[in-house]
Amino acid sequence: MNCKQAVSFMHEYLDGDLPSEQARELQSHLDACPDCRAAFRRLEETEMMLFAANRKTESVSVSDDMTDRIMSFLPQPKKHNPAWNWIRRHPALTAAAAFLLIMLGTSISFWNADTQLVVKGSDLGSVQVAGNTVIVPEGTTVSGDLTVERGKLEIYGEVKGDVTVIDGSSYQASTAHVAGQLKDINQAFDWVWYKLGNIFSEVAYR
Amino acid sequence: MDNLETRLVKLALKGDQRAFAEIVDLYKDRIFHLAYRMLSNRHEAEDVVQETFLRVYRNLDRYDPGQKFSTWIYRIGTNLSIDRLRKRKPTYSLDAEIGDQDGADGYALIPSDNRTPETEYMISETRTTIHEAIDGLPPKYKTVMILRYLQELSLQEISDVLDMPVTTIKTRVHRGREFLRKKLESQNY
Repeated sequence: MNCKQAVSFMHEYLDGDLPSEQARELQSHLDACPDCRAAFRRLEETEMMLFAANRKTESVSVSDDMTDRIMSFLPQPKKHNPAWNWIRRHPALTAAAAFLLIMLGTSISFWNADTQLVVKGSDLGSVQVAGNTVIVPEGTTVSGDLTVERGKLEIYGEVKGDVTVIDGSSYQASTAHVAGQLKDINQAFDWVWYKLGNIFSEVAYR
Repeated sequence: MDNLETRLVKLALKGDQRAFAEIVDLYKDRIFHLAYRMLSNRHEAEDVVQETFLRVYRNLDRYDPGQKFSTWIYRIGTNLSIDRLRKRKPTYSLDAEIGDQDGADGYALIPSDNRTPETEYMISETRTTIHEAIDGLPPKYKTVMILRYLQELSLQEISDVLDMPVTTIKTRVHRGREFLRKKLESQNY
């Protein structure tokens, strides 16, 4: 073994990584080489001093209030009540619920506010109105949809589209013919669904 | 020990502030001494401690319980210290000169350290030599020497912290040791 290899073995030994066989080789070299023996002793001393110089005798310590300071620096924990937590966890549901609530509120207020008869349709030329009653006379044809709000509807003729009666009543004579659907909506809740359905179909067709 | 830390992390993740405070108590001194030895500046070292725990807190959900907690936090603290060291490199030699002129251990410049005459006495010449020698090392050697001798991490742990092969760590420890040996020889023998 030459001295250069011996030095590398010394370091391995100090790391605690020198296999016992090589340790014996190193030992026999040290026995024979006074220079390496001195070098090894100094390295060992250095190693001990390195540990001793730093070990648990640190002259400086961290400020006493460090823990408090760190804790105050942290982003505040999320302390919300359970309802708020639920809302945070289900944003989509929350949005849907809020939407429905607002819709319901406005719809009901509209529903309560209006008392006048409303007739809607694309072809109202042949439709007759008498007081609170809307009449589709016999022998006439309404080519589109027909919607009546807050009134009576009497059909004697033909309607080629859907017929919708909101908060009213409808009567079909034996001569009547409705090509589309006939819907009778009498409650606020149904009406909301009807409105919603309209919104969605409008959105869909746009 | 590891078990305790994993438990504390879990509690902290559930929002238990006291659990996190306990993590801080467990590691603040170690991270402070690491940063202080790296930067030789109390104020900066405390900044590093705060930043380390802030990062730990923010990334707690990314902590892998299969890894040692100490390795993880040491990695954060070491990287933050190295970053600071690199940033101030231009003024580095100036700092060293001030230390030399005072002929002090470098800590004498720092006020209010709760130092008693007793601890003062314990700062021996050898210690000063060693600290100054480590201070003067290039960052890559400095880091390894501090983790090895101040924090007493094993070579394998240092390799985990720095994410480098053990052989690289070994080479650095060996060179650092030789360097220190020569320093001590020139001073004491």
